[in-house]
Amino acid sequence: MEKERSLLIWAGISTVVVFLLIYTVGVLKVEALSNPSGQFASYLARPDVITIDTLAAFGKLERPPVLFLHDQHTDALKEQNKDCLTCHLSENERLSPKLKRLEDTGSKAVMDIYHNNCITCHADMLAASAKAGPIVCAGCHQEKPLIISSRAPMGLDKSLHYRHSAAHENKCERCHHQYDQENKQLIYAKDQEGTCRYCHKQKTEVAESEKRISMRLASHLSCVDCHRQNLAKEMAAGPVRCSGCHDLEQQNKIAKVDQVPRMKRNQPDVVLIKTNDKEGLKTRMYRVPFSHQAHEVYNDTCRECHHADLKACADCHTLTGSEEGQFVRLEQAMHQPGTTQSCQGCHEKKQRQQNCAGCHAFLASDRKQESSACLKCHMAPPPESTGVLYQEGEMQLARMIPEIWQATFGISYDVKIPEKVVIKELSERFEPVEFEHRKVYDYMVKNIESDKLAGYFHQSGATICQGCHHNSPVSGKPPQCGSCHGKPFNEKYLHAPGLKGAYHRQCMGCHVEMGIKKPANVECAGCHIEKKQQ
Amino acid sequence: MSISRRKFLGWIGAAGLSTAVGSSAGAATNKHFKGYPDSLGVLYDSGLCIGCRVCEDECNKVNNLPPPDKPFTDLDVLDEKRRTTPQAYTVVNRYAGSQGPLYRKIQCNHCLEPACASACFVSAFTKTKEGAVIYDPSVCVGCRYCMIACPFEIPTYEYDRVLDPKVMKCTMCHPRIIKGLLPGCVAGCPTEALSFGKRKNLIRIARERIRRYPDRYVDHIYGEHEMGGSNWLYLSAVPFRELDMREDLGITPAPALTAGALGAVPMVIGLWPVLLTGVYAMTKRSAKVAKQEQEATVAAALEKAAAEAQTKLTEELAKAEKVKEQAVDKAVKAALEEAAKPESEEDS
Repeated sequence: MEKERSLLIWAGISTVVVFLLIYTVGVLKVEALSNPSGQFASYLARPDVITIDTLAAFGKLERPPVLFLHDQHTDALKEQNKDCLTCHLSENERLSPKLKRLEDTGSKAVMDIYHNNCITCHADMLAASAKAGPIVCAGCHQEKPLIISSRAPMGLDKSLHYRHSAAHENKCERCHHQYDQENKQLIYAKDQEGTCRYCHKQKTEVAESEKRISMRLASHLSCVDCHRQNLAKEMAAGPVRCSGCHDLEQQNKIAKVDQVPRMKRNQPDVVLIKTNDKEGLKTRMYRVPFSHQAHEVYNDTCRECHHADLKACADCHTLTGSEEGQFVRLEQAMHQPGTTQSCQGCHEKKQRQQNCAGCHAFLASDRKQESSACLKCHMAPPPESTGVLYQEGEMQLARMIPEIWQATFGISYDVKIPEKVVIKELSERFEPVEFEHRKVYDYMVKNIESDKLAGYFHQSGATICQGCHHNSPVSGKPPQCGSCHGKPFNEKYLHAPGLKGAYHRQCMGCHVEMGIKKPANVECAGCHIEKKQQ
Repeated sequence: MSISRRKFLGWIGAAGLSTAVGSSAGAATNKHFKGYPDSLGVLYDSGLCIGCRVCEDECNKVNNLPPPDKPFTDLDVLDEKRRTTPQAYTVVNRYAGSQGPLYRKIQCNHCLEPACASACFVSAFTKTKEGAVIYDPSVCVGCRYCMIACPFEIPTYEYDRVLDPKVMKCTMCHPRIIKGLLPGCVAGCPTEALSFGKRKNLIRIARERIRRYPDRYVDHIYGEHEMGGSNWLYLSAVPFRELDMREDLGITPAPALTAGALGAVPMVIGLWPVLLTGVYAMTKRSAKVAKQEQEATVAAALEKAAAEAQTKLTEELAKAEKVKEQAVDKAVKAALEEAAKPESEEDS
């Protein structure tokens, strides 16, 4: 019996030892695998990473693609007083972006060009005992390269566009062009300019009639080459190194023009939104007078609204939908929430700003607005003057309607409201709360007056009342909170909170949305005074 | 007695067959239970919760629980990942969200088909028609199977109580709600982040909130279907796993998961002994009969053999006698012939 027990103990101990051994060996092995050099891998983030996988066009790659650091090579060549032509060939006075070739003729040919040029140069530099790149396969074709691209996308914002056009004395043809199908060449058409991306898409498109190069290729061919030529002429020029445009820090250093003059592309100042309805001015909905000029200020490019081209919205988005407009009807194109291309979508985005969110965050996203809200945009031509106005023409009409209405009604935030409201809810525990009713109203008026969009849509004080006195018609004397909110969890009014919940949600919700930090939500004493125990 | 392989397999087959027949009848009791009609519940809207701990305070008061170590006004404890204790039926934890803090309230979910009640072999837990899952300490034996069974880790045990320790968990303030009062936490909540009412109405409220504010909520009501559904429901701005709420539970109620196995228990402890004893007895009897038959046959055979041997012996004996007689006759004859021979010689 004694002997059996000791045997068992020994067996137990040896099992534990064996398991421990297996575990430690396993752990060491895993660590060894993940960390070959014994140090933690550190990645290099660079904005100038170009992935060379040209051969992928000819079939499956035999080796991993090469991550090429362009700026590193430009700098190295500069030290040796060599220029871009060391690697790039010139075609029609422009540098080809490809290495030592104009066309990708075949798998073998392209591969040879890379291998011969890269390795020869690296070897030469090594021979001259300079710092050089790899000359063995795995040096460039790395399975797990320790480089990640920090390339930031670049675009021509309004300010940069203006600086370019000013520098080139408004010679739009320097960049803007169109493709002439008949003569198979690029031509310039005045007042037909659009943004590059209308034609140059993500990928190069080769159609039968023409070849549209990708946006990436087009911008590098045009921008970088122009910069290079200007530099050669010792003129002021933009960046030629990758990091000049694609490094986030460098981007922020690009000079900004504060007051950018309007782009001139024959766009209207004010326009009655076209519907292409045969009935012209007498359509079923009043046509919206739209100030193109006022809206341009808020956008960096035309693309933000004119997403496909610079035609009028109704040309593609017809009243009943067309294939060209992807069957998005005019009504949808103007009212669709959740997109910045539609009027209402963009306005809704603005409502999410801190100053507006106090009220607007509580409005259901798909609520149906009152018909009076429609008339804010779909303005009726004033009845007495209709005849005269119609003769003046659309542009004039569009300019005058808002002015006439504004003159008729004006803007009035002058409503008779209580200065303070005493809230006696929770009176068992707290003293009544003196709510600064007028102060809150005035704060909202101040916010609205400082914003053009808000000012336009809140022209009367009654509209502001609706922020808190929701679900009641626009009125300067809306019902009190307790008229709708009472005892909580009433089955007949499922979605209406009780009075306590309603007050707290409204006050706290607004404070949170508007970033009003004090009093904190959880700090009862911020609003309530504790009742003295008797 | 030794059993043959064939016999053993036969028994197992019979036992298996009996279980299969039994459980097909039991499956009818596992149909989907949608909860008691008009049962009550609570909807916790994480987006409306401000993390004030008033619910914890009220819960403590209405349940006469001991005062906590740190006062309920101390909001730093929200950052600890607390769970329910015998002194706190509900706790609120705070999580860092990308747009400000997020909260999660923990208490009994009052499952439509509670795992705790299903695991309890003395039926200490009752799912009431009001929706609350309540506990009867008078029958509890302290096995704590309920604590193991609960997928939400809610029931706790008074380990530090020497005499008569109890399982402690939220009762949805059952004594209060049958009197028409609100559960303590709901009554206290300043923002109505806790809504009380019929479960079906709470689901309607939750759906409406998701519809009105699609940006503010994930499109899911936690507790509507989790583990067969619960009377406590949750809304959240972020996926529930980010609030450490289990999303791996599936929609099958806990009892349904164990019903198959447990349904076989009466079969195994009730039917199998009878069946197997029967099989055993039958086998044994048939062996006995066979033995008897064998013995009879052997006896008959032996008898026959003995008789045959006797006959043969008699025959042999008779044969031997005959041979003997013949030999005697022959010898006599020869002797007679011998005696007669010299006479004739003398004559010639």
